[in-house]
Amino acid sequence: MATTTEAATGTPRTRTRLLEDERWLAFFLLMPTIVLLALFIAYPFMKGILLSVTNTRVGVPGEFVGLAIFEKVWNDGIFREAAWNTIYYTAVTTVFKLALGLWLALLLNRHFRGKAFIRAFILLPFIIPTVLSTFAWKWMFDPTFSVLNWLLREIGVIDQRINWLGDPDLAMGCIIAVNVWRGVPFFAITLLAGLQTISPELHEAAAIDGANARQRFLYVTWPLLLPVTMVVVLFSVIQTFADFQLVYVLTEGGPANATHLFATYAYQIGVRTGLLSEGAAISLAMFPVLFLVVIFQLLYIRRVETR
Amino acid sequence: MYRVSRRNLLKISGAGAVAASTGGLAGILATRSAPAYAQQRTVHWLRWNDFVPASDQLLRQTLLPEAEKALGIKVNFETVNGNDLQPRITAGIQSGAGPDLIMLFNNHPHLYKASLTDISDVAEAAGKEQSGFYDISKGNCSSDGKWMAMPFGIIGAMLAYRKSWFDEVGHTTFPTTWEQYRDAGKKLKAMGRPIGQTMGHSFGDPPTFSYPYLWSYGGKEVEEDGKTVAVNSKETVESVKFMVDFWKEAHDEGGLAWDDSSNNRAFLSGTICSTLNGASIYIESTRKPAQYQTDKGTPMKDDILHAPLPAGPAGQFGFHTFQSHVLPSYSQNKDATKAFLGWLHTASNYEKWFTSQRGFSTAVTASWEKHPMWGEDPVMAPFAVAGRLGRIPGYPGPTGQKAAEVLSKYIITDMYAKAIQGMPAEEAVKWCENELVKVYQV
Amino acid sequence: MIEGAKWRRWVYFHIPLAGFLIWLLFPFYWMMITTVRPDGELYRPWNAPNYTPFWTNNPTFEHIRYLFAETLFATWLWNTMVIALAATAISLVCGVFAGYALSRLKFPFAGSLGTMIFVTYLVPQTLLFIPLADIIRNFRIGDSPWALILTYPTFLIPFCTWLMMGYFKAIPKELEECARIDGASRWQAMIYIILPVAVPGILSAGIFAFTLSWNEFIYALVFLSSPQEKTVPVGVVSELIRGDVFFWGPLMAGALLGSIPVAIAYSFFVEHYVSGLTGSVKG
Repeated sequence: MATTTEAATGTPRTRTRLLEDERWLAFFLLMPTIVLLALFIAYPFMKGILLSVTNTRVGVPGEFVGLAIFEKVWNDGIFREAAWNTIYYTAVTTVFKLALGLWLALLLNRHFRGKAFIRAFILLPFIIPTVLSTFAWKWMFDPTFSVLNWLLREIGVIDQRINWLGDPDLAMGCIIAVNVWRGVPFFAITLLAGLQTISPELHEAAAIDGANARQRFLYVTWPLLLPVTMVVVLFSVIQTFADFQLVYVLTEGGPANATHLFATYAYQIGVRTGLLSEGAAISLAMFPVLFLVVIFQLLYIRRVETR
Repeated sequence: MYRVSRRNLLKISGAGAVAASTGGLAGILATRSAPAYAQQRTVHWLRWNDFVPASDQLLRQTLLPEAEKALGIKVNFETVNGNDLQPRITAGIQSGAGPDLIMLFNNHPHLYKASLTDISDVAEAAGKEQSGFYDISKGNCSSDGKWMAMPFGIIGAMLAYRKSWFDEVGHTTFPTTWEQYRDAGKKLKAMGRPIGQTMGHSFGDPPTFSYPYLWSYGGKEVEEDGKTVAVNSKETVESVKFMVDFWKEAHDEGGLAWDDSSNNRAFLSGTICSTLNGASIYIESTRKPAQYQTDKGTPMKDDILHAPLPAGPAGQFGFHTFQSHVLPSYSQNKDATKAFLGWLHTASNYEKWFTSQRGFSTAVTASWEKHPMWGEDPVMAPFAVAGRLGRIPGYPGPTGQKAAEVLSKYIITDMYAKAIQGMPAEEAVKWCENELVKVYQV
Repeated sequence: MIEGAKWRRWVYFHIPLAGFLIWLLFPFYWMMITTVRPDGELYRPWNAPNYTPFWTNNPTFEHIRYLFAETLFATWLWNTMVIALAATAISLVCGVFAGYALSRLKFPFAGSLGTMIFVTYLVPQTLLFIPLADIIRNFRIGDSPWALILTYPTFLIPFCTWLMMGYFKAIPKELEECARIDGASRWQAMIYIILPVAVPGILSAGIFAFTLSWNEFIYALVFLSSPQEKTVPVGVVSELIRGDVFFWGPLMAGALLGSIPVAIAYSFFVEHYVSGLTGSVKG
């Protein structure tokens, strides 16, 4: 601490000299990040852990109860349902986002008229505030006014309306569809960036060697794209796992908890009902699962990168 | 009542006078103590977005300016979506800063009991002036003989139905038992006009249906002691079984996905014959008669009537959404807030709000049942006595934090929703019992 | 690019691309049409004979007028803009510095620090915001833009740092060494040599951070309360969702107008964004 003050108030020469030292420069550069993250993440995170080992309710400071809250949460049927929903939701959406995003990226990687224009346009679903676009979807899924039902009936697929958000499986399907809709542009643009780093000469060489389009994709494009893909998937998994806004707007976890996710259930218990400790425990339960997934992915990325 | 508010008024206008005598802004700058009374004179009031928008307009444009003139208190009025009130009070209490006056629904004040200011003086004064509070006002807002919340209004939940359609299927008087209602619904659904009932996760319509329905069969979540979970009974299973068939035969299946406003829209667009709701559907239809029309081209408002929920084997029950205001203990402006609350609840001021609701929300004290407004529109008349009927979640036990927790988790509603989605009745009840035990045993 | 007959171009390129465009953009068309649709038409159920989903014969600007005249929409737009820009600026400074230090400097615990910064990204918001409420009280920044400007960077910095690390790694060391031989200090080399090269990366991190702040909902819902302090998502949702009155018109108008500023930013930067990401993924 004393040295930092010296660095700050000392003569320009001492300051420069300090900054010449890699350690001090690193310290100086990392300082703002560490302060902000410690204050607004590490500290509240510790408080959150403390909350989960007490029995605090809103406005009532709790006593230490050990792991009793976790035990209660573990035995909670709705919690298990929410946990399963979250894993299912994350897995399915990620697969779809990756497949469709990659397809779109391959399409956009070609030369055609209006390329820049279309690239900007397809990002719209990603940049519009999620709650608001989700309200548009809610309106499209509305049991009484659904334009989708109208459309399907016009083409002659259905004569009874489809109960989009009222059926447990369909409701899950709907939130998955909206999440994929929102996520595909991000995948596509990032993968497009990855595709552009691949030198066309590699493709030409492969073509000369007699590889067809499918082989060129499998043996040239895909391996080179893998590192980017892993990074995108990593970020997407983290965000999807803790998703909140979509379900909050579309179903509030209904019908009968069929679409509750970790985050929405934690919110309902902790914030709506005021059982702060339980809410914290549910949120915390997300952490180890996420941690495992991420460790696995990070290791994989490292292996791919060093190969 | 008047005494209380006048004393506060004197105190506050006294502060104002001091400021004036010390020379306005210059004086404030000189003493550098502006916040001390500047804070006292602003009250941050948080309410839901009223389903009767005219009332929010009245508050913003007429009542609050009047309050400012009368009390010297500026009211900072904020409205949010009804589902977002609880997050806001939780954050307020935890962070020790937030609105000074917050509206809550039903028995939710019990959840925040430890962090609310005792406002018995204001409540008792208003109660005395207006011939006493209803029992449900007491149950929702008081605890251990103290008032932790100020009752404000009761949103009567009644079935709004299309008179002519019920006539067409031979039910010229509205069904009074579930059997009759089911029969009517069955015939109407066959004509493409099902009953609409919200069964999703939303604070209003789902519980106002599922609770009284359970009670009308003799089912209950706890015994009178408020501790022993008693949901797993023959009566409950019976009610669930009936509901499953009833839903299939007579209801709009979309109801599982509805929130509190979906059924209003479905009704106004003419797709359902009857739905449990506050009077907001009817009120909206009278506001724009040209827009809401029946299939025959006549204004829909002339074809809407209200009726209480039918009776089951154990009798007829109701559960009305209750509104109250709480003054969290973190508030820095308790005196001003109380003064404002007292002012708001004096009969002459409250009346303006009361009439602007046109019966959507009835009052919390008995004297308002006789208000001339109820004579203006016979369609609204059934709502006049909503406050007398109706029970509170937790019935027959006393309501409290546990019952509020059950309500917040939608456990009772979900029991029916699960069965409707295909879970065997016994299993759904068993599931509900497990969830209830977890709430009550700790 | 696609060899062979014309039909192949259609099957493998035009049709799929058109499919994607319709799917991705249809909701926006839907918002637009709802924005200009008069209330009366909104009450038509899906199977009504006069249900006209894709056009309206009586377009109205009433909803847009309502949005600006009866709500504080303009103020919300402004607030969101200020908050998003400030949070993005803070996150960029932190992210660029931290990314530089972690990828180009040697110091003890560099690896574990990097991992720790990344791990903070995993901490769920639902866990944080109750304890955060405490901190916000202690700093007395509740109900002010600062509550968000200071908390948003917590989920922006990890991403920015991560992205910049990748980007910096891709810049050859020699560039810096040459400058140092010419007499520049480390600090100068970083500011004048490396940062300009990294501009595309910084831009794409910035755009990403800006979008996330523009989108954020929970913190804004809980930490702001006065109507005149709200951001677009919270303002629109909390003031326009009502029971009976069809606020779909203003709601959709708000959604559209609320995304325009970001859309404009993107249309300017999309090529940079792509090339910025390209740089970072090379590493």
